[in-house]
Amino acid sequence: MIKLIGALCIFLACGFCGMEISKRMAERTKQLRLFIAALESLEAEIVYGHSLLHDASRRIASQLEGPVSNIFRFFSDKLVREETTAKNAWKESLDKYWKKSALKTAEYEILLQFGETLGRHDLEQQQKHIRLAITHLEREEKESYRRQTTYGKIANNFGFLSGLLVILLLI
Amino acid sequence: MDTVFDFLPASIREQLKVLDHVDLEKLEEIRIRIGKPIEVNIAGYTRFFPFVVDSNTAIQLLNNLGKHSFYTLEEELKRGYITIDGGHRVGLAGKVILENGSVKAIRDISSFNIRIAREKIGIANPLIPYLYDRRWHNTVIIGPPQTGKTSLLRDLARIISTGDKKHGIPPLKTAIVDERSEIAGCVNGIPQLSFGPRVDVLDGCPKAEGMMMMIRSMSPDVLIVDEIGRKEDSEAIEEAIHAGIRLVTTVHGESIDDLFSRPALKSIMDQNIFERYVILSRQRGPGTVMAIQDRNFKHLRLGRVFQYD
Repeated sequence: MIKLIGALCIFLACGFCGMEISKRMAERTKQLRLFIAALESLEAEIVYGHSLLHDASRRIASQLEGPVSNIFRFFSDKLVREETTAKNAWKESLDKYWKKSALKTAEYEILLQFGETLGRHDLEQQQKHIRLAITHLEREEKESYRRQTTYGKIANNFGFLSGLLVILLLI
Repeated sequence: MDTVFDFLPASIREQLKVLDHVDLEKLEEIRIRIGKPIEVNIAGYTRFFPFVVDSNTAIQLLNNLGKHSFYTLEEELKRGYITIDGGHRVGLAGKVILENGSVKAIRDISSFNIRIAREKIGIANPLIPYLYDRRWHNTVIIGPPQTGKTSLLRDLARIISTGDKKHGIPPLKTAIVDERSEIAGCVNGIPQLSFGPRVDVLDGCPKAEGMMMMIRSMSPDVLIVDEIGRKEDSEAIEEAIHAGIRLVTTVHGESIDDLFSRPALKSIMDQNIFERYVILSRQRGPGTVMAIQDRNFKHLRLGRVFQYD
């Protein structure tokens, strides 16, 4: 009886591990898409709305959810409250919420690079930099989606199967 | 005053802490240049602070002025100044970028000149009896630069839009065409300086066009315009006067004769449109009213020079 319960535990634990890995893959794609949407909104706010950076960021934060929203909200607050540059405020916002997101170093570098240009250029240049960041993120998003579709299912099944394997070995 | 200090980087603010409230009351300019000490002008005297401004501080200042959004300053960088909350103005100098031979923007800004806007509320009060007689007269304020023309115009706009109980003047619809953002000191289109409830401002709009826009769309009783002098201006003025709108304006010059000698103003002078001429000078400091003359150039205050301020 105890053997059976132990086997079930192993089976479920391995299964959930696999599911978690596959979920993280899906989550990364989702968050990348959110970031792309956020940057597109930012572009519209800046180019067509002539909004100030902190206003635009606050509005974007309220439209979105999850870590992406938190990053923009924190960034907006920092710009208003502290004496800092947009670049530093952006970096600090990324660092604060990065651990909680499913995003990877590649995106981090892109966004950091993008932060360097924030609020320092005229309209035309600013738009170009936003577009550039969006293009890079879209590339990552495609890659991430491909990984998710090919490896996501595998990870899911592999979890349960490896659980079975362990059980068989132990029995 | 606090609004200006909010925009300064902490290191500069720290330096200026030694100024007491007497100094602050008379503060005229704060000049900040990269690699140079801070210069402060108080009531005509210059004072230097030993603190040398580095380029990071200057960038910080620009960030604060633009609220971290450089892209919103395009128009300001073309004109060379930024108007901030409170109507204060920050003049900029640095490397100029050209496009087709005209100024596109100033980049690499190395000098900032923060000019403190100071409202002189009530300075136009002594003039009311001369400028109002059941209705406002078409008035032109004449004076060389720095004689307080714009301050007087601003206070007149305040009185016209608020009305004046003592003289039984009702508040009237006042339209201000503020080409250089000097009269109303607008930030995001909202006047920062005190006016009455019935005031409408076209901020940063070329005068001639602005006057026509106001006439067409805002049905003003009184039109306030600063520094007329171009040909288009006088055409718009004629249009306004014939539409029954009162006009209060300023012009550079020392006497009425100067108005006749300006070709662009000749036609409106020949039509004898203005009913009151207020002549200012610096004889006893800015805002010395030398004379008030009516449309036949008769002196209404002969020989009595007085100074508001």
